[in-house]
Amino acid sequence: MSHNAYLPKLGRIAAIKDEVPGNRAIKTYQIEFVSGDGFEHDCGQCAMISVFGKGESMISIASAPHVTGYKQFSIMKTGRVTTALHDLNVGDIVGVRGPYGNKFPVKDWKGKNLVFIGGGVGLAPIWPVIQTALHHKGSYGKVSVFYGGRTSRDLMYKADLDKMREQADIHLSVDAKEDGWKEFVGFVPSNVKDKAPSPDNAIAITCGPPIMIKFVIQNLKELGFTDDNIYTTIENKMKCGIGKCGRCNVGKDYVCVNGPVYSWAALKELPPEY
Amino acid sequence: MTKTMAMEKMLNKADLAAWMGKLETHQLFAPMLEDEGVWNYAPVVKAADVALDQPNTVRPPKDFVFPQRETLYRFEQVRGEAPVLTETLPDPQPSVVFGVRPCDSRGLVRQDIVFTKEFDDPYFQGRRAKTIFVGQACKVPPSPNCFCNSVGGSPSSEDGLDLLMTELDGKYHVKAVTQRGADLLAKGGALFKEASASDKAAVAKAHESAKAHPQRPIKELGKVAGALKQNFDSKAWDEMAKACIGCGICTFLCPTCHCFDINDEVTCSSPCKGERVRTWDTCQFPDFTMHTSGHNPRETLGSRLRQRVCHKFQYFTENHDMPQCTGCGRCISLCPVGIDIVSVVERLGQP
Amino acid sequence: MIDVAAIKAHAKALLEKGTVRAVIGYRNSTAGLLAEPFVFTGPESVDDLIYGPSCVQNLALYLVNDKKERAHHKSDDARPVAVVAKGCDARAITVLLQEKHFLREAIHVIGVSCEGTGVVDTKKLARKLGGKHAVEIDFDGGEAFAVTTADGVQSLPAAEIMAERCLECRGAHPQLADIAFGEAKTDRALHTPFQAVKHKMKEEQDNRWSFWARQFDRCLRCYACRSVCPMCYCEECVVDSIQFAVLPDTTAEEKANRIKWIERSPNRSESAMYHMVRAIHLAGRCIDCAECERVCPVNIPLRLLNTRLEMEAFETFDYNPGSDMNAPTLTSSFKDTDPNSFIR
Repeated sequence: MSHNAYLPKLGRIAAIKDEVPGNRAIKTYQIEFVSGDGFEHDCGQCAMISVFGKGESMISIASAPHVTGYKQFSIMKTGRVTTALHDLNVGDIVGVRGPYGNKFPVKDWKGKNLVFIGGGVGLAPIWPVIQTALHHKGSYGKVSVFYGGRTSRDLMYKADLDKMREQADIHLSVDAKEDGWKEFVGFVPSNVKDKAPSPDNAIAITCGPPIMIKFVIQNLKELGFTDDNIYTTIENKMKCGIGKCGRCNVGKDYVCVNGPVYSWAALKELPPEY
Repeated sequence: MTKTMAMEKMLNKADLAAWMGKLETHQLFAPMLEDEGVWNYAPVVKAADVALDQPNTVRPPKDFVFPQRETLYRFEQVRGEAPVLTETLPDPQPSVVFGVRPCDSRGLVRQDIVFTKEFDDPYFQGRRAKTIFVGQACKVPPSPNCFCNSVGGSPSSEDGLDLLMTELDGKYHVKAVTQRGADLLAKGGALFKEASASDKAAVAKAHESAKAHPQRPIKELGKVAGALKQNFDSKAWDEMAKACIGCGICTFLCPTCHCFDINDEVTCSSPCKGERVRTWDTCQFPDFTMHTSGHNPRETLGSRLRQRVCHKFQYFTENHDMPQCTGCGRCISLCPVGIDIVSVVERLGQP
Repeated sequence: MIDVAAIKAHAKALLEKGTVRAVIGYRNSTAGLLAEPFVFTGPESVDDLIYGPSCVQNLALYLVNDKKERAHHKSDDARPVAVVAKGCDARAITVLLQEKHFLREAIHVIGVSCEGTGVVDTKKLARKLGGKHAVEIDFDGGEAFAVTTADGVQSLPAAEIMAERCLECRGAHPQLADIAFGEAKTDRALHTPFQAVKHKMKEEQDNRWSFWARQFDRCLRCYACRSVCPMCYCEECVVDSIQFAVLPDTTAEEKANRIKWIERSPNRSESAMYHMVRAIHLAGRCIDCAECERVCPVNIPLRLLNTRLEMEAFETFDYNPGSDMNAPTLTSSFKDTDPNSFIR
């Protein structure tokens, strides 16, 4: 009998970092498997994190596949499980099962320029791709990262992004003017339009609030990106993670198995129910 | 289930109880009329009371393999410490379910697909392995809303069954469909007589005449998926869902619907103790797809009716080359306001 | 006899003149004998409007749904909506008006008297027909239904196949109506009010509990009883977990700390809690349309629970829900003459 897919492995919280304060706080967790019985994952895949007594939540794995000691998750406090997660401390044990879902086809992108566009907590799902591209720097072309938030306090991974400037073009933005902000002021799609990354030999990867994704894709298309060179991820409510409970079903797909990564060309074929 | 050489036997109707008596290693279930006037599967208490040629049950036999509530595991955790997780895989007594209508057994085939594709579901599979389904061919459609013929089935379909029984003039013709069905038949010993050529001819005739009985029609089944895809944005979805009250009857009582919810049921808060439980859920409930943010991809009744119909007649067909509807008619007969999947398919699922 | 052609003509005129946005009524269903609630929006669509003993559903529910839908689509059409209302439907609308769910001028009530007959109970009819399927049912004079089966038409005494609630009905003629059709006969004098629940209450307490324990065990928690109830209009229901009100400013803590009063597991304790809390929330509000009982796929006699509390409201406080839209609701009013025997 194969392993019971519903039974999580145990993970210990090894580190917690406060990324964003406030009502919709974001914290980043490094979770180590308690008995070394972890799993490998690909860029874009997710895991079900359990707080026993509260439930489970599907969270994208924010660390790159080459990072083996722990899995990283950046989690926004938004409901029952994530609020419970935000109350946990280093050393606490949670359940982790996965990896679930498809992956970004990073191997097919060798030699290409990669344009990443993230908003808010939406940087997390594409973060492993960024890390992978920079880790194998010689294999990929130019890496650009567009990232924005409502205010500068809403930006996560700030120190990492600063360090990354030597290896990649980093374009940060905040929605409204604030004192001391030296980079772009305006929404993420406008920043993309403003910097106008070239579509030549390039792949665009975007994740963020649905309204942001909508306008990012619109602007990318104006810049000349084709539907099959634009990638995004969708999230739907999930319970089982293994294509059975039916909750994340959109058209013929179960997002937990067939998603969450879609090219815009593929996503256009699905009913807009996400 | 592995297919076996066709084994066809005859059993006197009066000997059904005697055969049941020889199956003491199994718990037996059959359709029974409850005090409330509802047919449902119940444990066989007195074999002589078993009536197999009755209206179909209100609850489909999916309960036996996919019960409405299943404990996935128990947990106990002292805050800050590692939890103890206790797996609770089902280990039911082997059972035999009699009187299963072919539409419902074809529902089990569709459940099999869902619960084995990509990831195994040990809870479903554990129960499925322990449950033998004995079919009852329909002589006449048990409900005016039957439409098995229209969705690729028939009143004598063997799909998903271990044995198929057909009533013939004081006797049952019993055909083994799987090895475990044949084993069950063998337990009857001398109660069963080999079916003669004329018995077989009579069965074929009975099946044919049952199939010829008029049913609710879907004219071109092969074109339904394509037409539904074309009509995704039709305004008719909202119009047809106007009467919908948004309850769970059509899906809970569907032999193919498999959606569920998972929740932690806590019995003690410190240490945190409880069970992780799955329960039937349905795309017809408003919170089914609602994100934590409040955003709901299927907010309206029309979009939820569309999901139910398209999942059955388009999405499942695209993935598995068969509709996820077996024509039992429950969702039509039991709908409080007359929403009729056949009419919906006729309207939006035909070229 | 009800003049259905006159109802249709009235509905058609309303839509032609554009004095209402829509007419909520009944049409034939393809699913079986019972009618299908339908929202007629064009004058020509009214040709499909029917009225007869198959029109069992309480259309007040669709006024509640209409309000939700209008909010969803941010509709600014201020015209009223018309609704066909039997005595019980009109009582439900009256309670909704008492509770200020909508304004009186927002609705145009097309009242239809149930005269001597009410609506059919399909379970009773099926028993009466013993295996034959009825394909059509109509009024046959004041005290009978004409039932069509494959064998032809037969006349059956209405009292034998009428819904229980109709037998006990205390207001068969809609008192709230902008126009009324049919004879204003209110007193059918078939059964005394609360007869069924009074009969049940004669049983020993232990027997009553074992009866309900069995029913709660059988409950599927499909929530059809709650979903069909016009009085269950809350955005978020404390005892059903299928509907949450999440607003843009609902905080994570509020979502996380939402109390789960009952679990989703369909077992005796959870289902007992569900049905009893629902019954208590209907006390003084339930107008006995008995839709909850009718829609239950496993025939749980829910009407007994709800009428038990209605009986209390009537016998203790002389309160009759749905009889006066200007009266304060039972639970929001106090009279000097109210008995206080229950306060200890």
